[in-house]
Amino acid sequence: MNTAEVVVNMPPANAMEAGQFIQLDNVFKAYNNELVVMDGMNLDMRADDRLVIIGPSGSGKSSLLRVLMGLEGIQGGDINFHGQPYIKSENNDSKVVSDELHSRVGMVFQHYTLFPHLTVMGNLILAPMKVHGKDKQSCIAKGRELLARLGLEDKVDYYPSQLSGGQKQRVAIARALMLEPELMLFDEVTSALDPEMVTEVQNVMMQLAEQKMAMIIVTHDMHFAREIATRVVFCAGGKIVEQGTPDEVFGNPKEARTREFLDKVLHLN
Amino acid sequence: MDYQFDFHFLTGKADMLLEGLWVTLQLTLYANAMGVVLGFVLCLMAMSKFRMLRWPCQLFIEFFRCTPVLLQIVWFFYCIPILFQVYIDPITMGVLALGLNLTAFNAEAYRAGIQSVPKAHFDACVALGLKSWQQTLYVVLPQSLRTAMPVLLTNGISLMQQSALVAIVAVSDLMYMGKSIAVDAYRPLETYSLIALIYFLMALPISHLVNVFERRQDAAMQR
Amino acid sequence: MEIDFSIIWPYMPVLMQGLWVTVAITLGCAIAGSLLGFVVSLGRMVNNVLVSGALKLYVEFFRGTPLLIQLFWIFFCFPVVLGISIPPYVSVIISLTLYMGAITSETFRGSLKSIEQEQHDACTALGLKHSTKVIYIIFPQALLRAIPPLLSNIVSLFKESALISSVGIADLMFIGQNISNSTAHPVEFLTTVAIIYFVVAFPLTRLVGYVESRMLTRYAI
Ligand SMILES: Nc1ncnc2c1ncn2[C@@H]1O[C@H](COP(=O)(O)OP(=O)(O)OP(=O)(O)O)[C@@H](O)[C@H]1O
Ligand SMILES: [Mg+2]
Repeated sequence: MNTAEVVVNMPPANAMEAGQFIQLDNVFKAYNNELVVMDGMNLDMRADDRLVIIGPSGSGKSSLLRVLMGLEGIQGGDINFHGQPYIKSENNDSKVVSDELHSRVGMVFQHYTLFPHLTVMGNLILAPMKVHGKDKQSCIAKGRELLARLGLEDKVDYYPSQLSGGQKQRVAIARALMLEPELMLFDEVTSALDPEMVTEVQNVMMQLAEQKMAMIIVTHDMHFAREIATRVVFCAGGKIVEQGTPDEVFGNPKEARTREFLDKVLHLN
Repeated sequence: MDYQFDFHFLTGKADMLLEGLWVTLQLTLYANAMGVVLGFVLCLMAMSKFRMLRWPCQLFIEFFRCTPVLLQIVWFFYCIPILFQVYIDPITMGVLALGLNLTAFNAEAYRAGIQSVPKAHFDACVALGLKSWQQTLYVVLPQSLRTAMPVLLTNGISLMQQSALVAIVAVSDLMYMGKSIAVDAYRPLETYSLIALIYFLMALPISHLVNVFERRQDAAMQR
Repeated sequence: MEIDFSIIWPYMPVLMQGLWVTVAITLGCAIAGSLLGFVVSLGRMVNNVLVSGALKLYVEFFRGTPLLIQLFWIFFCFPVVLGISIPPYVSVIISLTLYMGAITSETFRGSLKSIEQEQHDACTALGLKHSTKVIYIIFPQALLRAIPPLLSNIVSLFKESALISSVGIADLMFIGQNISNSTAHPVEFLTTVAIIYFVVAFPLTRLVGYVESRMLTRYAI
């Protein structure tokens, strides 16, 4: 599969050109030298894209996000960001080449991973103060503003253990947004939540979508995927099997494997 | 340091050390046998529905856990003969004191084990119509034993170390023999180092076993 | 023989003096030992085999041998090895501190290792430097988690400290045993001493449980 194939969704005239945002070039990744999760993967994402990654369990969706966040190494290929080298595979492993680019990516995890010994505000201001060296007062002001936008203004001094799952996840989103990332990664952020809390988190994500935040979202919620995605990517066996607009992939999947997968999950719903 | 080491004289004392070692092993083994069995019984009694049974047992456990072993040993050696007008040979007395101490600590280990048995299993037992003793024997005991095993072993090793305290009331265990040799020969450095090494080497295989158990339990948890 | 507990009253002040010695030595060695234990637990994570190996040997040896031998060894052998005389109370403070250091280093090691990988991931995602992560995220959580087991370690030390009586330090155990010998009333005095130890240690063990549940509700750790 080459890069040209990957760009299915033709951008509007004013959007950035292909290859100018996130670009995976022939990325190879295996765990313990045997379990291949990315097998020569190519992907081109533009700044106005909201990718939703779908695929069977164990197909490497989380691995892809973790690689982009610098949490896991790759053993082959390169990843560029803004046309500059971001992650390079060297000596059978990789490293994040540019800390500056790394700080433009934010991630939200399935299990919140808030710092339990810090209050909500403590969680929010730690990174901007220590990483960007901002002063405390401006961080707090910014934190309050963000929390207000997410409907959490009264939880400032709470500890994570005192919050509901949905509230925790919104705080986790706020914590990532404090660093003003250009790209947000969401890995099944609603799958640990009780059903009635799913919407409050999804609403926040829709809010971000309206503000044209670039996102890569892994979810098993096909309804939400269809709603938020500009492009849907179906992964299986370490490769991208099919991608296109939500209407294309969900309405008229070309590949047999995609159809099979969608049949299964849509029947479950 | 210009001290001249001389381990040679110790070879002449080998039989004394072996004699002491044998006493230490006896103390450890008998006290452990007592602690493992009585610990479980005491644990069940301390969790009983009947207050008149539960409270004294809990007091027993807490008292042994919250006072120094040395004091318990000294108390047994001085007070039991006066209170009960009996003569008990020193090794038996040592086993009694150490064994009851271990009983209290093991009861606590069993309790933690029993509490780790999921509530649903108790319900299942009722649903299956198991009698209370069957429930204890076939469902609770095996599961709690599995959780308690590393702790029982650890307690067992520390008991061997605690058993050195009987030397203070003149029971001729390894520690006591070491003390006499050290004093007789004016060579504390060599003697105590050797004794320490013997205790250490005796504990080593068992603490290794504990590690194996814990690792296996961790693995079982992940499944 | 008549058992008569009223004979203990005149001796209460002396026993309390002994308790004071026991408590002072326990607290001193608990603080010094915990600091030592924390440093040792960090040292054992160093990538240098020599350092981590030596520290492991230290910990295993002090955990794997009877405290009584450690006391005797340091009491009788340190002066020989170093060629200087060491006052008895200094010698027992060294022993108990080294012992406590070995015990608490395991406590800290356990709590440092218990911080989940997810917390490390979150730090990486936020771009925190290694030193920032350790100081602001790992240490605080590890220390909070270490508090209950550390309290248990201190209660154990309080009980174990009775062994210093065997090298002649006038702690509660020593004084109790002396009076019981000289008055020939072991039942009354040894029982009283046991009750004094119990009255101090038991509430502390309850405190451990309380602190643990507080931690759980407040921080869920
Ligand atoms: N750290 C790791 N070490 C070894 N194998 C791993 C590791 N992380 C993931 N794997 C394996 O790699 C494969 C892909 O995992 P990944 O978590 O990326 O899948 P996924 O698509 O996110 O699945 P799910 O939908 O269940 O979250 C799985 O088989 C998983 O067991
Ligand atoms: Mg996943």
